[in-house]
Amino acid sequence: MSVKMKARSKATHVAADTGPLRLAVPSKGMEDATLVFLRACGLPVDRSNPRQYRARISTVRDVEVTFQRAGDIFNKVNEGSVDLGITGYDVVAEYRNEDDRVLVVLPELGYGRCSLVLGIPESWIDVTGLHDLSEIAASFRARGRELRVATKYTNLTRQFLFDHGINSFSLLESSGALEAAPTLGYADLIADITSSGVTLRENRLKTIAGGTILTSEACLIANKDALARSPEKLERTRVMLDAMESSLRARPYLSLTANVQGGTPELVARQIVSHGEVAGLRGPTIARVFPKSPEDDGDWYAVTVIVARDRLQEAVDALRRAGAADITALQLSYVFESKAWSYEALLRALAHDRNGVEA
Amino acid sequence: MCGGDRSPATLREWHEALNESRFDTSEIQRVRGTNDIVPPARAVQRSVEDRLLALFNLYGYEPIDTPVLEPTDLFLRKSGEEIAARMYSFTHWNRNLCLRPEFTASVIRAYVNHLQDRPVPVRLHYAGPTFRYEKPQRGRYRQFTEVGVECIGVGGPAADAEVLAVARHGLNILGLSNARFVVGHLGAVLELLTQLGMDSGAQSLVLGVMEHLSREPGEQQRVVGRLAAQLGVGDEEENPEASALADLFRAFGPEGAERIAGDLLEQANLRLDEGSRSPSDIVQRLLLKAYRPDPTPGLARAVEFIGRLREAAGPPQEALPALRQVLQEYGLDDAPVREVEQALIYFDAYFACADRVHVNLSLARGLRYYNGLVFEVYDEDDNQIGGGGRYDDLVRALGGRAPTPACGFAYGLERVIAAMERGEQPASANGNAVALVVPLSSEDYSAAAELATRLRLQGVAVEVDLRFRGAKASLRHADRAKIPFAVLIGGQERADNVVLLRDMRAFQETRIPTADAAGQIARLTREVAAV
Repeated sequence: MSVKMKARSKATHVAADTGPLRLAVPSKGMEDATLVFLRACGLPVDRSNPRQYRARISTVRDVEVTFQRAGDIFNKVNEGSVDLGITGYDVVAEYRNEDDRVLVVLPELGYGRCSLVLGIPESWIDVTGLHDLSEIAASFRARGRELRVATKYTNLTRQFLFDHGINSFSLLESSGALEAAPTLGYADLIADITSSGVTLRENRLKTIAGGTILTSEACLIANKDALARSPEKLERTRVMLDAMESSLRARPYLSLTANVQGGTPELVARQIVSHGEVAGLRGPTIARVFPKSPEDDGDWYAVTVIVARDRLQEAVDALRRAGAADITALQLSYVFESKAWSYEALLRALAHDRNGVEA
Repeated sequence: MCGGDRSPATLREWHEALNESRFDTSEIQRVRGTNDIVPPARAVQRSVEDRLLALFNLYGYEPIDTPVLEPTDLFLRKSGEEIAARMYSFTHWNRNLCLRPEFTASVIRAYVNHLQDRPVPVRLHYAGPTFRYEKPQRGRYRQFTEVGVECIGVGGPAADAEVLAVARHGLNILGLSNARFVVGHLGAVLELLTQLGMDSGAQSLVLGVMEHLSREPGEQQRVVGRLAAQLGVGDEEENPEASALADLFRAFGPEGAERIAGDLLEQANLRLDEGSRSPSDIVQRLLLKAYRPDPTPGLARAVEFIGRLREAAGPPQEALPALRQVLQEYGLDDAPVREVEQALIYFDAYFACADRVHVNLSLARGLRYYNGLVFEVYDEDDNQIGGGGRYDDLVRALGGRAPTPACGFAYGLERVIAAMERGEQPASANGNAVALVVPLSSEDYSAAAELATRLRLQGVAVEVDLRFRGAKASLRHADRAKIPFAVLIGGQERADNVVLLRDMRAFQETRIPTADAAGQIARLTREVAAV
C-alpha cells in the first residue's frame, strides 16, 4: 500500500498558492439567480459595472469573482485556474471522472433546478415508458438501424440507456437547437435539459415514464489541491461556506414572537410546549415583559420560537390557544449551528484525498 | 486568463515557469481498477498460468488468442444487458469498439471466422486480459485475466463432464482440491419462461434477477413488481392520452381497432409522419401493446418457480429427486435434471469429488448466452474463482453456418491466485535466479560472464553482478534477493583456477575448480529446486 500521489495537470502544478480565493460564477443563464443567492447569503458581488468580468465580494476579504460560462466552470475548477465555482450539477455529473480534482462542496444551492430528460417525438404515441424504447431499439437493430439520440450529455445518456437495457443506440453529440433534431430527421430522440418542458412541447416532443436521467440544481465545487495547499484560501472558503450553509438552512423557517400571559416563565413554557407545533428548534425562549402602565395586572412574557414556514398558520393558532397576543413573524437570515458541517465534510474529504490508498 | 496579475518578476522566473510547464515531472498513476503485476507476483502469475495451460493441453485443448479490441456488436448480440452496461466501449473514427469483457464470444467469433471446417469437437484454450467497468473491490478489478477452455461442436453431458473435469483438475494441481462446484442447468427456467409466452427481452430480465433471488429469497414480491415496471406496467397511467387510446382500441376489438386506428389518429390531428418511424409502424405497435396481456402473473409464476428451485438445491443425491418433483409439478420435462445427473456421474469418474458438488437449478450466470448446464467454482472461503457452462445457440447467433452446441469455462486467474495465497500451498514461482555470479572487480567480469553462460546452457537461472562492489555487498544482495547460491570470482580465484561457491542458507563456502564449476553448481542447484 503506498500513499497515493496523484498526477496533477500542468495548470494545477503552476497555480499559485497565495493570492485571492478565485470563485467562478456563471455569466449567462444562471447569472442573475447566482447573484441573488450570494446576496441572500450576505456575500454580495461587488462589480463596478455589469459588463465587467471580474468582481469582489465586499464582505469577505481577498475573494476574486470571475464570470464564466457555466459549461466551462467545471474545467476551470478541475485544472485549478479557479479555486471555487458555482455551476449546474448537470455539468459536474457529465464532466467529472474518477481522477478529477473537483469536490462538490455544497450540492444543492436551491436554485437553477432542471432535469435531464429523454425527449421523444409526440407522434410516437405507442411509447410511454423506457421498456417501449428498448423494444424499438431492438426492432431498429433487427432492421440494421440504430436508435439515434442527440445530446450534449453523452456520458450521462450512455450510462442511463445501458443501465435500462437499451444497448443498441448511437449518440449524436450536438449542442444548440437539439430539440429540432427529431423533426429535422437527424436523430430519433434527444436527451436534454429542461426546467419547464415548454421547449420540448413547442418542438412536439414529450417525456416518458422513467425517462428522467438526472435532476440538477446549482452547486458549489472546489479544487482539492488549491484548498489543501493554502490555509488562507481554506479559511476564506470556510467563511463563505458557513454563510451559504446557514443561509440555506434558515430559508424554511420563520421566527415568531408573541406576548403570553402567565404566572411564571415555567408555567408559560409548559403551556407553550404542550402545543407541539410551537415547541421551536429546541424549545421556546421566554423573557419577562415589563408593562408600560403599572395598572396592567398579570405577568406578561415574550415567547420566541422558530417554526417551519409552511406551518406558520398552525403555529399562530397554537400560540393563540396558549393565550398569546401580539404575534410577529420575522424571516430568518441565517441559522448557524455549532459548526459549518459542509466545511467539516470538506476537511474530511481533503484528508481522505491526502491519505488515500488504492484498494 | 485570470491570475495574470501574478506575472513572474524576473526573466529567470519566466524560464522556470516555462520549463515546468513543458516538462511535467509529476508521478503518473495507473488507471483505477487496473494492476501493475510486478516481481515476484508476475512470476507467480505466469507460472500458474503456464501450469493450467499445460494441463489443458493434456486434455487435447489447443491454444488460441484473439484481439483485446473487438467490435461492440459482438457482445451486444447475446451476452446480455448486464455485460453491455459494464463494457469499456467507445467510438473511434465512427466505429463502435470495446475492450473484450470476456473470452467466450471472442473465441466463438474466431471459430466462426476460421475454424468451422475443422472436425468437431474443436477444443480451444486461452489466457488473457479482459475488462469490465465495475466498482473496484477486493478481488475485483477492472482488468482481470481469464484462463479457460471452450469445447465446440458437441452437445450433451459427456462434453459438460469433460469441461467440469478440466476445471477440477486445474484446481487440484494448484493445491485447491477443496474447491466447491455449484452445478445448475438453465433448461428448466428457460422452458418455463417460453411456456409462459415471454419474449427474449422479458426472459432476459427474469434471468437477470435469478442471482438476486437466490441470495434474497424474501424479495419475491418486490422483484415481481420491479420486473413488471421494467416491462412497462404502469407506464400508461403516467400518460393519460396513451392510456385512453389503448382503452379505446381494446373496446373495439382487434379487427375493428386496426380499421379505425388510422382514421382516428388523423382526426385527432396527431401527425405521425414527423418522426423517423412510419405511421403504420407506430399504429401496429400501439395495437400490439393494447392487446398484450399483463405480464405480472407470468412473472409471479416464474419468480415463484425460481424460489422452488432454490429450495430444492443441495447435494446431488438429495437435490436431484427433489428437483424432479418440482419440474413435474410445473409440468416441465425433466431433461435438465437427467442431464445434470449424467454429467455428474461422468464427472465422478474423472474425479471422485461428489461431496464437493452442490446442485442448484436456480443458478444463473451473468451472461445471457448460457442455455444448458452451468456451473460456478468457489474456494474454501466462498469466493468465486471460476465458472462456465453450455451455450448451444451462440455459434449461430454470431453467424455460424450450422447449429453448433458448445460449452466451456474460465478461471479468474487473479482470484485463483488469491485463493492459493490464502490456502496451505501458497503460489510460488521458481522463475528467479538460483545463483548469483559475482565478479569482484571489472577484471573478473569476463570469467564471470563465461561461467554464467555455461551455467545457463545447463538450464540454471543465473544473475551476474554488474556493480563490482566486492564480496560483502554482493553477498548481502544475494541474501536479500533470496538467491540460494553465490559464486565469487576474484583475482586470487582466477590465479588458482577455482571459483568460490557460497551456499547462502548453509553458510558454507567451497572452492571448486573452474573446469568443473558449471556441472557441479548445476547439480547442486537442481537439488535445491527439487526440495
